[in-house]
Amino acid sequence: MSTTLQPYLKAVRQTLTAAICLENFSSQVVERHNKPEVEVRTSKELLLTPVTISRNEKEKVLIEGSINSLRISIAIKQADEIEKILCHKFMRFMMMRAENFIVLRRKPVEGYDISFLITNFHTEQMYKHKVVDFIIHFMEEIDKEMSEMKLAVNSRARISAEEFLKRF
Amino acid sequence: MPDAHSFGVDPITCYSWNKDQTQLALSVNNNEVQIQNFANGKWSLKNTLTDHTQRVTGIDWASKSNRIVTCAADRNAYVWVQESGKWSPTLVVLGITRAATCVKWSPMENKFAVGSGNRCVAVCSYDKENNWWTSKKIKKPIRSTVTCLDWHPNNYLIACGSTDFKARVYSAYIKEVDEKPAPSNWGTTNNFANLMGEFSSEAGGWVHGISFSASGNHLAWVAHDSSICVVDANHGLKLTIVKTEYLPFMDVIWINESSIIVAGYGCVPMRFNYKDSLTFVGKLDDADSKQQPGKVSAMAQFKAMDSRAATDVETTLNSTHQNTIVQLSVFAGGKERCTKLSSVGTDGQIVIWDIK
Repeated sequence: MSTTLQPYLKAVRQTLTAAICLENFSSQVVERHNKPEVEVRTSKELLLTPVTISRNEKEKVLIEGSINSLRISIAIKQADEIEKILCHKFMRFMMMRAENFIVLRRKPVEGYDISFLITNFHTEQMYKHKVVDFIIHFMEEIDKEMSEMKLAVNSRARISAEEFLKRF
Repeated sequence: MPDAHSFGVDPITCYSWNKDQTQLALSVNNNEVQIQNFANGKWSLKNTLTDHTQRVTGIDWASKSNRIVTCAADRNAYVWVQESGKWSPTLVVLGITRAATCVKWSPMENKFAVGSGNRCVAVCSYDKENNWWTSKKIKKPIRSTVTCLDWHPNNYLIACGSTDFKARVYSAYIKEVDEKPAPSNWGTTNNFANLMGEFSSEAGGWVHGISFSASGNHLAWVAHDSSICVVDANHGLKLTIVKTEYLPFMDVIWINESSIIVAGYGCVPMRFNYKDSLTFVGKLDDADSKQQPGKVSAMAQFKAMDSRAATDVETTLNSTHQNTIVQLSVFAGGKERCTKLSSVGTDGQIVIWDIK
C-alpha cells in the first residue's frame, strides 16, 4: 500500500508546481475589484482544467487552477467511524484558525475534507517551492497524525475504563 | 556576472528606463511610481509620482520626447512631462471601465496604446485643438483582458496578446496624427482597428508577453502553455510554435533579428534562436557555475531542527532571481543588437544581464 505514496505525492508536487504560476489580475467583471478567479468563476477562459489525483477511491486531491489563484482540496483516508470523527474534528480545529495558516480555506470544497486557497499575493510574499513543500508535507503528516490520535483515543478509553471498573 | 539590485521585498510590477539608462521609473506593487537615479551602480530616489489611486500596472518612458505614460488598475492613464525637475501629470481620457493592464509609446511617440480588462486596446493621440489626449478603441474580436502589447517599428501596426489565448495584429493608423501608411508585409490598410492577423498556439494559453523584432518582420509571443510562438511576415505569416518543458514564460524580447530571450516563472532568462524554427540555445543564468552555498554547517541544521522542526535549511533558489521574472527590457544596444538586458521580478530585484 505504501508503495503508492511516493508516486502519488510526486504527481501532486509536479501538478502544484505548474499550477502555482499565478499573476496579479484585476477583475474584468467588476471594476476596481481584484478577487481570486478560482472562487469567483465568472470568466471561464481564466480557469484551468481541474485535475484530480487519486491514490485510491478514498484518498484523492483536487487541484483547481486559474490565472491568479489555486485551490487544492484533499480527501483524507478515513477507514472507520472513529477516524471519521477524528478527521472531522481535527480539520474543523484547523479551519477555524485559517487566518494563521494564511493559505487555508475556511470551508472545504464539496466532497473533500480540507481545502487550501493560494493566491498570487501569497506567491509574491512566499517562495513558491516552499508553499508546495508545505502542502506535500501536510499530506504526508496528516495520516500519521490521524493514526496517532486514534491510538491515543483507544488507549485513553482503555485506561479510563480500567480505572472505573477497578471500583467494582 | 549578472548585476543585481534589490528594491525591497515587494514585487516590482513594471518599469521603464529613460533614453540613456541613467534613470528608472518603476512601481513596487503599489499606486506610486518611483523615479530612481542610476549612477555608478548606485541608486537614489529622485521623485515619487502619486497620482494613481490603485496599483500601477504599466509604465513607459518615451526616450526621444522624455515623457512618461503610466496606467493603473484604477482605469486611468497619465502622461507625465518634466518641468524643471518636477513631473506634472495630464490625465488621459481612456473611457475604459476596467483596469488598464499595459501601456506602450509608439516608435514615433505621437501615440500610445493601453491594454485593459475592458477587452479592448485604447490607442491615444494628442488633440491639439482641445489640448488633451483622446483615445480610440480597438474592440473586435478581443474576447478577454488584453495582457500585453507591442508596436511595429512603422508606427501603424500594433500587436496585442490577451487571456482569450490569441495574439492579434491590428492597424492603429489615426489619420489626424499619422502620415499615410506605407505598405508592409503584414498587409496594407488605411482603416483604424483593422485586424491584420489572429494567431494562437493550438490549444493555447493566456498570452503573457509579445514583441516585434527590430525590423518588424517577426512577431514573437509567449503563453501560459509554456509555448513560444513566432510569426514570420517575410514568409506569408508563417507560424512556428515550440512547446517547452519549462514553467510558463512571462515576457519575451528580441535581441537581434534571429534571437529572443524569454523569462518567466522559471526565474531564469533563456535564449532561443529563430531560423525557420526555434531552437533552445541556453540559459543566461548559469546556476551550476555559481558558487555553491557551501556545505550547511551542522550548527545551522540543529538550530533549524530545534526552533522550527525543519530538516533542511536550504530555502533560496540557485538562480539570481528568487521569484518570477515579470518584465524584460533592452538595456544597451537596442533590439537590433542588444548587448545588455534588464529584468525585474516579483522578488523586488532588477538584474542587468550581459548578452554574449
